Amino acid sequence: MRKIAATITKEWILLKRDLGGIALLFLMPVMMIVVMALIQDAPFKDYQALKFDLLLVNNDKGKLADEIIEGFNKSKNFNVIQQIDGHTLNDASLKQHLKNGKYNVGIIIPEGATAEVVNAANLIANELSEKLGMGGTLPAREARGTAYVRVLFDPVAKPTFRSSISFAIDKYVTYSCSNLLVQRLSKMAATEESTASESAQTFAQVFQGIGVKEEMLEKERDRKLINSTQHNVPSWAIFGMFFIVIPIAGHMIREREDGSATRIALIPYTWTMVSLGQILFYTLICAVQFWCMIAIGIWFLPLLGLSKLYLGLNALHLVPVSLAIAFSATAYGYFIGSIFKTINQALPLGAVSVVILSALGGLWVPIELLPEVMKKVAKFSPLNWGLDAVNAVTLRNGTLLDILPHLMVLLLFGVLLWAISILYSRSRKMSIQ
Amino acid sequence: MSFAIELEQLRKQYKGSWSPALDGLSLQVKKYSITGLLGPNGAGKTTCINIICGLVHADEGTARVLGNDCSKEKDEIRKRIGVVPQQIALFGNLTAWENYQYIGSLYNLSKKTITERATYLLERLGLIKHADKRVIRYSGGMRRRANIIASLLHDPELLVLDEPTAGVDVQSRALIHEFLIEYHSRGKTILYTSHHLDEAEELCEEVVIMDEGKFILSGSPNELITRTADARKLEDVFLHYTGHSVRD
Repeated sequence: MRKIAATITKEWILLKRDLGGIALLFLMPVMMIVVMALIQDAPFKDYQALKFDLLLVNNDKGKLADEIIEGFNKSKNFNVIQQIDGHTLNDASLKQHLKNGKYNVGIIIPEGATAEVVNAANLIANELSEKLGMGGTLPAREARGTAYVRVLFDPVAKPTFRSSISFAIDKYVTYSCSNLLVQRLSKMAATEESTASESAQTFAQVFQGIGVKEEMLEKERDRKLINSTQHNVPSWAIFGMFFIVIPIAGHMIREREDGSATRIALIPYTWTMVSLGQILFYTLICAVQFWCMIAIGIWFLPLLGLSKLYLGLNALHLVPVSLAIAFSATAYGYFIGSIFKTINQALPLGAVSVVILSALGGLWVPIELLPEVMKKVAKFSPLNWGLDAVNAVTLRNGTLLDILPHLMVLLLFGVLLWAISILYSRSRKMSIQ
Repeated sequence: MSFAIELEQLRKQYKGSWSPALDGLSLQVKKYSITGLLGPNGAGKTTCINIICGLVHADEGTARVLGNDCSKEKDEIRKRIGVVPQQIALFGNLTAWENYQYIGSLYNLSKKTITERATYLLERLGLIKHADKRVIRYSGGMRRRANIIASLLHDPELLVLDEPTAGVDVQSRALIHEFLIEYHSRGKTILYTSHHLDEAEELCEEVVIMDEGKFILSGSPNELITRTADARKLEDVFLHYTGHSVRD
């Protein structure tokens, strides 16, 4: 025990004096969390909570266009712009403004769109009334085919943005067309006993048929959890923990190079105790690092206008999770420090390997978006098991039984790498120089 | 007569090397002596020390240190010997004092013992004023002295020094010599390698000259000088037996 305690004290003194190492362990993940949470705050709002400037050219000037514009104005997502600097937009100027990049999205309502929708409604209404033996026909001509409301984007707009906005616009346009259709049909169905507006209400209800209503598993709380804080804090905390590979591997190789490791090897019955002391020390440092990042998510990010990190109903379960991740990260650092001969090999390769493992593990892009093969590959990344364990506790209120497989995998990973490191180090030729 | 070190027919060839580092080396180091192990570069001195402290295994032959087999009783040997490597084997970012606290703890010494021994040795080797300075900020001579102290904390019976005065100034060298003579007078055995033959002549009771992994000759410096034709000093003896050709 004394040898372990002495090693922990020695490592603590060395770490305290390594300001670069401390900055890497604590400041780097803080920076990553803050920057990434701020950057990803908007995308995580799914474009639902954001308001976009929508350039609109109204070539229709009819009822359909009025319905569409009213729909956009009522929505919280679009700020409809039909004039810029006192000039009413036309097809060419709209395209020019999008090309300039100041605006991201525009729509052009074609000329005669209302007439086309009214004609379609009249055609349907006439056919229905004929089949039902109702009297009266509405004026109608043959349909001319589909008239398109054109949606245009800034060329640099991302596909996800395009599809989200197209979907929202399509929803408003469809709604406006249906509304117009219902109005026409209700006009026909209006009798002396029921007014047109009453009929319209009935038709609307019939048209609605069955609706879609999103419900949350745990009421409103779940909605609050879909935010960039909840994704970025655990992700970058785990990423930062694995960056302990740099100080650990650096110290180990330096000690081999300067001969201090040889001195330790010359002291009887010591090597395993020193190794255990180092693993314990860095595991504790990693765990402290994790909780510091959690604290940043709870107290600092809200000061920047971001969501507060929510730890779930079983927050204490994060203690074994943090220790298991810390142990596997430390063992990984120990492994890198053991197998590489020089600092020039170990540090870049160690850092790059952490970046690769984090990308594979779904820290950068949620794993659900990865192809099937990559989802399977992700299971080989301890960072994936770590992140999944944190999410199981914070997002799914997982019990200890739920996170047990994660803990086992992380511990197994750590023990395996540590064992390989010990075997490799023992086989390494140590000598006095 | 009992020996602190007994090497018999040691052979060692490193992987990828054309010639053996040790080629049937046999030698003995008397208990309670100061023995100099001399040889040109590549003679096999460091390999010899590595085998003595159990860091390297010989391919053939036997090595016994203080009655223990070097390949089987490494830990027993390590309890009783102190090794001063040529490299400064200390944690540069720790102070000398912190280094000794840590190393002493690994030898399972009590805090009191560590404090007493480290204080004595720091005073004796002129480092007490610098004990709280990080080793990395020491001069070359100070580092060498600090390196010696770290190997003496557990009060070893046998002290093995590999070029302990390489690159130090005259004052530091004199202080180290004075200290080693004092340490030897307390009934300790010292095995010492150096390229400074004048140093070996002054300090050692016995010298062993080896070259190309083989034993060449041994005896007291005076005896070797007398035995060698036209030799006035140990350096003449050394050149007589190892030749003038430059070694890699």
